[in-house]
Amino acid sequence: MMSRRGARFFDERFGSNAAVRFVMTKVFPDHWSFYLGEFALYAFLLLVATGIWLTFVYVATPAGAYASVASLSRADPVGYLMRQVHHWSAVTFVAAILLHMARIFFTAAYRAPRELNWIVGLTMLVVASLTGFTGYSLPDDALAGTGLRITDAVLRSIPFIGGWAADVLNGGGYPGPDLLPHLYTFHVYFLPVTIAVLLTLHLGMVVLQKHTQFVDDPEHVVGRRFWPDYALRTVAALAFSVGVLIALAGTVEINPIERFGPYHDWTVPNPATPDWYAAFLDGALRLGPTWHITVAGHPIPAVFWPGIVMPTVVLAVLYCWPFIDAWLTRDHRLHDVLVPATHAPWRVGVGTAFIAAGFFLTLAASDDQQAVALHVSVAGLVTFYRIAVPVGSVLIGFVAAQIARELRLRRERHGIEAERVVQLRRTAEGGYREEAVTPS
Amino acid sequence: MRRALWLALVGALAATVAASSHASPALVAWLAASTAFAFAVAAGLEARRLKAPGDLREPRQTSQATAPAELPSDVTRRTVFGRLWMFALGAVAVLGIVPVVALGRRGGRRGPIWNAGLRLVTADGVPLRPTDLSVGAIETVFPQGRVGAPEAATLLLRLEDDVVRAAPERADWTPHGNVAYSKICTHAGCPVAIYRHQDYQLYCPCHQSVFDVLDAARPISGPATRALPQLALDVDGEGYLIARSDFDAPVGPDEWRRTV
Repeated sequence: MMSRRGARFFDERFGSNAAVRFVMTKVFPDHWSFYLGEFALYAFLLLVATGIWLTFVYVATPAGAYASVASLSRADPVGYLMRQVHHWSAVTFVAAILLHMARIFFTAAYRAPRELNWIVGLTMLVVASLTGFTGYSLPDDALAGTGLRITDAVLRSIPFIGGWAADVLNGGGYPGPDLLPHLYTFHVYFLPVTIAVLLTLHLGMVVLQKHTQFVDDPEHVVGRRFWPDYALRTVAALAFSVGVLIALAGTVEINPIERFGPYHDWTVPNPATPDWYAAFLDGALRLGPTWHITVAGHPIPAVFWPGIVMPTVVLAVLYCWPFIDAWLTRDHRLHDVLVPATHAPWRVGVGTAFIAAGFFLTLAASDDQQAVALHVSVAGLVTFYRIAVPVGSVLIGFVAAQIARELRLRRERHGIEAERVVQLRRTAEGGYREEAVTPS
Repeated sequence: MRRALWLALVGALAATVAASSHASPALVAWLAASTAFAFAVAAGLEARRLKAPGDLREPRQTSQATAPAELPSDVTRRTVFGRLWMFALGAVAVLGIVPVVALGRRGGRRGPIWNAGLRLVTADGVPLRPTDLSVGAIETVFPQGRVGAPEAATLLLRLEDDVVRAAPERADWTPHGNVAYSKICTHAGCPVAIYRHQDYQLYCPCHQSVFDVLDAARPISGPATRALPQLALDVDGEGYLIARSDFDAPVGPDEWRRTV
């Protein structure tokens, strides 16, 4: 009764019944891999909830930051869990975005007409990483300060504008008095608001363009009604994500700043590695070329190449990827039906090689620990990774493409592909209509 | 389904009690997580009970072209926003750079870190004599009165008297085998925190740059391209270690703005 009366109240004022009916009866294609993006969304919701709580504790000054975060110790279960859930959600957020992106990549969901949504999603990945990094820096512990020191050096390596930008960020040289307040503003305001805006665009585009699907019926969206069927499923996904993140936070301690101690520019914990999503950059810095280049008296420091040029090139390729794909396949048509990964082995190869390169760079960020564990020299591992990043990843991509080709051939040989299952449906006029049914 | 919701209800109350009675974080977390999992199970079971069809079909209109939007026919001018509009807006964009540039406060060159005659003191402010460190020992020192100042951290090592392969002009920089280098890595600015006396090598834990202590802290492995700046040492009248001058090279990572 209440809901009916409420519906009438809003319908009289906004004509909202039509919109509600549109949402309730909207059809969503269903597949386990379509929940990966939802996990990212739910991690973001948990980040906002715990983040707002943390703003009431955190003190954004060089003198007070470390102590304010360190006060959230095990003695205070609520504060401790808020911080732990926040950090676990942050690393999971980036991981879920990447997994979601991998699904989009391997099924070619980014093809026309969805190129712009790929670009929006990729921008969210970048902003999510930046939000993660600024948050990781805020406690001002020894590891955070060291990460900022490295970032400052990388920023200052940029020709012409790098030093200026770093001075603005710091309010002077590193570590400037304004650094933490500036990072805090970025972390709790600019960056999350940007994510919220991009998220709205992202989901708005999905509603307008409708979701892709595996079912080979380009004329229709095939799936489940939003209300209550899909809504219950997504509530289950939300509750599951929240449960996993809270359980992780209470079981596995992440970023124990009490063990690192407060930051001074003359101390550093050993081993020193950043959060996992930033580790590929740290690895690149370890492998980077030792070029000593001077242009008109200005040095171009060695960190410029792995720290600025490499990620810029990678991002440029990723941003252009939907258009590169269309150009490579000479396919500019509009697609709503997904390509099963095995049907395009070349795409599997490219994607796997890309992931492998990132994986090797990430591994390189802990080369010192591997050297101790494997009884080899760090220099030897550096040489290994310098070869593995370009050569090893291409080989792995090649093998992955072969496996995809093999899987496809095997399926075709078993005749599953050839056998087309057709369902006959009786129409209102009394005739029959053929409908394709995907083999399950 | 009802059982799962009862579990969620009890779990939430139990987590509330545990959190407010300062139970261990693990207990609070698992009670709260169980609540969430119970909800997940309840929603999943409810969805299954619906037995809703999974192959509903909703038409797509993706590829249907629509008519382009045009100016209403009662508007006579053909071009509304002409080229001059674009140029004028471009000029406004240039104007927009002004406040961005105005943000820049030049860091201001930091003065010298060491001055001639300044004593080397520990982080606790204790001045050091040439024989205070045993051979093979290492200590982080600062200029007296500037303990903890940015980029002032300096490594003081005591080596055997005759092992340093110093260039002639550096021959008298190392009284009694005491040798001092900047602790700030020339690669990305981390503290060069690890020393192995067996091979006289300094390691940076961040990116594994290695510096040869015997050879003016030149980089011998890893990504660093420049030696750690060296501090010329001497002993003052009261027998304490002092600096002869500032470091022999700029401290910390190179940057574009720092001309060479």
